[in-house]
Order: sequence, then structure tokens, then C-alpha cells
Amino acid sequence: MAQSLAVDTTFWGARVLGVAAVERELMRLRRALMAHAREQGLAAARASVLNLVVYAEREVHARRAAKSISELSLRHPSRAIVVLADRGAPADVEAHIEMHCHLPVADGATQVCYEQILVRARGDSRQRVASAVIPLLVPDLPVFLWWTGAPPVSGPPFGDLLGVADRFVVDSSDFARPDIALPSIARINSQAKGLFGVTDLNWTRLTPWREMITSFFDVPAWRPFLDSVSGVRVGFAVDMDGRDIHPSQALLFVGWLASRLGWRPLDALASSEAGGLLFAIARSDGARVMVRVRPRFERGLEEGDVSGIRVQAEREGQLAEFVVKRQPDPRHQTTTVLMNGEKRWERTVPLPSPAIVELIGEELSILGSDRTYEESLAALVRLS
Amino acid sequence: MQRLLPAAFCVVGTARRPLTEAAFREELRLAVAQHSRTKPLNEEVWRSFAEQLHFVATPDDRGYERLRETLDRLDHELGTHANRLFYLATPPPAYASIVRAIGEHRLRGDTGWARVVIEKPFGRNRESARELTEILHTVFREDEIFRIDHYLGKETVQNILVMRFANGIFEPIWNRQYVDHVQITVAETIGVEERAGYYEQAGAMRDIVQNHLLQLLALVAMEPPAAFDDKAVRDEKVKVLRVLRPITADGVATNAVRGQYGRGFIEGVAVNAYREEPGVARDSRTETYVALKCWVDNWRWEGTPFYMRTGKRLPKRSTEIAIQFRSAPHQLFSREASEGLEPNALVLRIQPNEGVSLKFGAKVPVQGIRIRSVNMDFDYGASFMVEAPDAYETLILDALRGDATLFTRRDEVDQQWAFVDPIIEAWAAAPEGPPIYEAGTWGPIEANLLIERDGREWRKA
Repeated sequence: MAQSLAVDTTFWGARVLGVAAVERELMRLRRALMAHAREQGLAAARASVLNLVVYAEREVHARRAAKSISELSLRHPSRAIVVLADRGAPADVEAHIEMHCHLPVADGATQVCYEQILVRARGDSRQRVASAVIPLLVPDLPVFLWWTGAPPVSGPPFGDLLGVADRFVVDSSDFARPDIALPSIARINSQAKGLFGVTDLNWTRLTPWREMITSFFDVPAWRPFLDSVSGVRVGFAVDMDGRDIHPSQALLFVGWLASRLGWRPLDALASSEAGGLLFAIARSDGARVMVRVRPRFERGLEEGDVSGIRVQAEREGQLAEFVVKRQPDPRHQTTTVLMNGEKRWERTVPLPSPAIVELIGEELSILGSDRTYEESLAALVRLS
Repeated sequence: MQRLLPAAFCVVGTARRPLTEAAFREELRLAVAQHSRTKPLNEEVWRSFAEQLHFVATPDDRGYERLRETLDRLDHELGTHANRLFYLATPPPAYASIVRAIGEHRLRGDTGWARVVIEKPFGRNRESARELTEILHTVFREDEIFRIDHYLGKETVQNILVMRFANGIFEPIWNRQYVDHVQITVAETIGVEERAGYYEQAGAMRDIVQNHLLQLLALVAMEPPAAFDDKAVRDEKVKVLRVLRPITADGVATNAVRGQYGRGFIEGVAVNAYREEPGVARDSRTETYVALKCWVDNWRWEGTPFYMRTGKRLPKRSTEIAIQFRSAPHQLFSREASEGLEPNALVLRIQPNEGVSLKFGAKVPVQGIRIRSVNMDFDYGASFMVEAPDAYETLILDALRGDATLFTRRDEVDQQWAFVDPIIEAWAAAPEGPPIYEAGTWGPIEANLLIERDGREWRKA
């Protein structure tokens, strides 16, 4: 499919020719903004704490990323270099690189906090992209590489861009084939060797779920049940006809439990009904745990988001069930504990917004690697 | 255009080829209109300036005689007392014959001062540089010779001296106790362009390292001079060059790396390999990249290495000096908290984006402690809002005033060649040529090994 050749300059800024011209244009814009601020008696300065390279092959992804970063600019003043590449390598378009830049100013900002550069790569530009991006990076600032869609395992420009990155960010909710993409993220992670950290926005979405599950076992009376878990069910949202199945988030949760509790694979991963997955897992004491991951249609949920978790444990003749459910409108979670089917405890807590801008904002505040995530991913790959 | 020239002066152009005065003036007018920082050209000002432009062709001895007559006549008319500045903007092979002609035809004049400005390259090794100095000395005294290294005319290079010696806070930590190592980078994105004829004979070592890089090194490493004058400053620079540990033939393999660019991409555009450039031999062994690990063997720098690199067709145009400080002696914060923390660095950016930045760790505004390195930036352009004068403007004006502080003295040149000659010879004697690096990358892999062996890495410039 031929892609539109026109770049929307109201969103991406004017076209500039070459890296030196980008820097000159940004400096000109900065000076103009500073002069304007001074007239109003405000102090103005350039602030920047990170480089963010976004790689997208669809304009909608590129725009969504650029908008999120611009909304975050007061929290994370940055230079964003958005690479928008043609999908595949269309033979009918001559390979070349085009650059656009401008300074979107956030509401209430008196400082220049966000510099946005679009690197539009046309045709088969895989070899060229890194040579256009690397000179645009602000020296000495950490480089975050946000890869929209499933990353390739190697090859340009992926390998070259990864080579300059301090942190590599993906969103596995976009992965069409998590069974292929998640293991490849794990491989990228094992190649990182401390050179860069890897993270997944889908992992960040799990944080409120992990917090709630963990909090059950902070209670001294319930703590012993953690060693005798016998079954886990994780539900995740699908659309009404159940066509698009995105179980990555739910799978990461299973990986997390396995890595924290020292579970090992017992039987190979088996598909169960309607896009669900069934794992037979050995606990650290060898006992069997059945883990079921099931798609469910629920209104008001993003596809792939975890909708509910139930952990069952049997100990000294007692069956305990620890349940966390997501409730729509207003967003909150309910947590319930049942003993032999009888409700012992119920609590309602607010659920933080899953907006991508919040997620990326959280990730940009971390520079190092997230060991818990890495271990969870590795455990998940072992299970499957 | 900035009213800096003296009240009475004139410029006499000379070349072997014949040219009318009118044509000479027109050539200059076009050049000034195109390159002057003050645009558009003020025609009134130009007309008055052009009246002082003259041209004498010097194809032979009679030409030089005419030149002398012209100079004497102009001196008489302008009252300039035979104060003469000779500027040799010619290919180096012509230096010797021109200097001899200046002597034989008594172009120096009898009453005023005479100075000669010489462009790099100043010789092509220690021996030829000494010969050239001897020839110059037949006509000029050493204090009359102004060897131009235009890097020294750059505002930000002069600012190294101001940073170090006009401030109280930097000098106390400017030594082995606090500085882990120093990195000096001169990176170009351009290839050999039109200069293949010269570059094939020179290479990066003679083109950049011998002069620019060693000058930057000397300015960073030197002791505080007693005064800001030509003698004191240059004495201190020479002292650094003298204690620069020689890289001998045995040490070349571990302390020096060369490379030559292959094909690749610069800013998204495909570029040719060096050997494919016009005027370059298909099997050329000329290096377009050099990385060195150097030691300044004195009290201040014992144990602190200086890493230097320069190259063509690198990803980014950037000249900078980075002082990398040691880490804090005791790590108070957990490993997780300080994963984003890097040792402090003071970076002097020579070009582009002239300025200074200091990197330090700051707390990320979240619950708990997370540390991230941030930059405190001083940007020349944004702070002073004026454009710095061109390096040549500064230097030519200095030469007219007789201030040689920013010019290279004979003993400096001598020490510079003494350092680079053995490396060039070792490379020439090596059976293999320079490794090829892909254009648009930071040089050959060997350059990474040079620094990574020591547990350090090149900065992301």
C-alpha cells in the first residue's frame, strides 16, 4: 500500500535540511521563546534531562507517542526524536530521510522543555536511520528508545539504535504474536548485559495488580497460604467477538508469580478454550499448580488488560481464595478474601489511570534495569 | 566592518600569476560579500577599504623588485614606517622560496617591524619543520614568526584558559587526585572533499593531531602561567609537550589506533569510501581516523590518561574536551537508586553549540531515592547573544598588534613532531594498512578496545 507522502507540518513542524539545520532552527525557536518570556518578566531556560527516540511504522503510533511525551514535558523535559519509517521496504519509493522540527510548548511552561524532531524515513531506509538519529541526540543525556510494535530481533536500524540506548521501552499490548515477541524481548534483555535496561509498558500496567496481590500476604494470618497455592486464574479483556487476543499482560503476571515463588514448568503450555491458556506448574515443594489465563469480554476495558485475578490456596483443610477484580466507572479495584467459600474481607481501592502518558512517565523516571521484570519475563519464557 | 583596523594601512596582494588591481579588488569584494559576518556588504565602507588594496605579480626577480618599490612608495604615502606583515597563504612547498625572496629583495624594509604569518602544515616531520624554521630564521627572528593554528583563535579555546585561570573553583580539582581521565574529541562528518592531494600525503595525524589536538591537550594540561603573555603561556604549553610520554614503536599497538573510512551513511545519505574519493589512491593507506592514549608525565597528571580521537566521516561534527572526574569515594545510595548516576564530567564544547556543561547526579522527583545524572549548561550563544569573531579575525589582528600568545612557537612545533613522528613511522613500517570503519560510525572497533581495556568508554559526544 502506498503511504501518504505529505508530512503534516502543523503537527511536526517545518521541514529542515540536515542535522546542522535542525540544531540552528531549534536554537532560533528557543531564542524567540526566551525573548518572549523575558518580555513578560519570566525566566526562561532550556531544560532537558533525556533523549527519547521513538520508532514507529504507523503515523498514528508516532503521533500518539509524540503527544504523550509533549504532555509529560514538564515532568520529563526532553528532546524527542520520532522516527517514522515506511513499513517493510517499498521498492517504489526512493530511500531517503527527511527531517522536521519544532518546540511545542506545554500549558503553563515558561521553559523550553520539549524539542520534537521527526525523522521521516522513506523507502528502504533501514541502513540510513541510525546515521540520522545519532547526531541529533543531545550529548551526555540518557537515551530512551521506545519501540512501538513488536521489535525485530536484530538488524538495522534496530541494532544500531539499541546500541546507543540506555533504556529500551516496548509495549507488549501491541504484540500480535506474544508467543514469538515476548521470548524475543527476553533474548534482547539477555544480550543487554547491563548496557541498557529493558521495560514493557504492559508491565507497568500490572503494577496495581501486583501491589494488591502482594498486600494479601502482608497479613500474618494469610501469609502461610502463599506457600500452598494450588490454582491461579487470570482474566483479560477481549472485544465482543473475541477476535483479537492479546494475553501478554496476563502472561507477564503469571511469569511474575512464578519467578517470585520459585515455580517451575511441569507440562508444556496447552491451549484451552477460546484463546485461553492452561499451565501446569510445579511449586517449589513439587506440588502441582494449575494456572488458567482466560479471555473475557467486559465493557469499558482495553483489550488485553487484566480484568480479574483469583489465587486459590489450600492449607490444613482450609480453602482460601484471594480475588482482585477491576470495576468500571469510576475505575476501582475490589479485593476479596474467601475462606471455604465464605467472605472474610472486602476492600475497594482506586485504580490508577492506565493512560499511556502516565505509563511512559513512570518509565522515564527509571534509568536502570528492572530486575523483577526481567526475572518475570525469563520465568514466563521458561514456562512456555 | 568592525572598525578594528588601524587608521593607516594597506593590503598588497601578490602571486605568481598576473592579475590587474581591479580584478584583485573585485575578487576580494565577492569573497567579503559572501563570507563577512556583517551582511549585507556596506558599499561605502567597501569603497574606502578597496582603495587600500593593491596587487603586484611576482613571477620572477623583477616582480619582487616591483613589489619592493610598491611597498616603499605606499609606506611613504601612508606614513606606515615600513611596518610590514607578510602572510604566506601558499602551499607549503613555496614557503622556502618566498622567504628567500623576501630576504634577497630586502622586502623587510629598514625602519619598521616585520612579521611573517605561516599556515599549517608546518613541515611534515620534525626534521622538515626544523629546516623550515632555519630558512625563516635567515630573514626573521623567532619573535617575528607567527605560525597559525586557527584552533587557538577560537573563542572557546581561549575560554579554556579563562575557565581554568580566572576562576577559583576549577584549578584545585584539576589534577590526578580528582580527574579520572580526559577525553579530547575532534570529530568531523565531512570526508576528504577537495583536499585529496594534500590529505593523501598528510593523513589525520599530520592534519589534526600534530597541531590542533596537541594544542588542546597542552591548554588543558598546562600549569598556570605567571602572566597572560606570549612567553609565559607558551613556556607552560611547551613544558606539557616535553613531558608527553613518547609512544614508541612497541607502544603503538596498544596506545595508538588508526582507521580509514569505508562506505556508509552520513545523516541518512550514502557516502563513498575514502579510497573511492577523487584524487585518492585505490589502495591508499592514509589514515582518516586516529585515537591515542597519552600520558602527561608530571606531578599533576601522574596516572591520569588523556584519550584523544579525531576522524572524518564520524556521525557528528563535534569538538570537545571532557574532564571526567572520579566517582564519589563512598557510595551512600543503593545500587538500584544510583543506576542512572555517572561520574561528574565537565565538558568544554569547542564547536558547535559552544559552551560548557557540568554533569552531576540529582534526585529524581519520585517517592524514595532515585538518582539521575543531569547537566548544568552554559550556552555561549544563548548567554551572550553575539556571534564570536572568526578565529582568523582574532589571529590576524593579534599578528598586526604583535601579540604572539596564540601562535605556535618553534619549540612547540618541534615537540609536537617529536611526539607524532614515531607513531607515523611505525604505521608506515607496519605490513598492514589502517582498519576500515564504516562512515557514520565512531571509528574502528580497535578504538573502542583502546579505551575499554582500561574499563572506560568514549563519551557519546
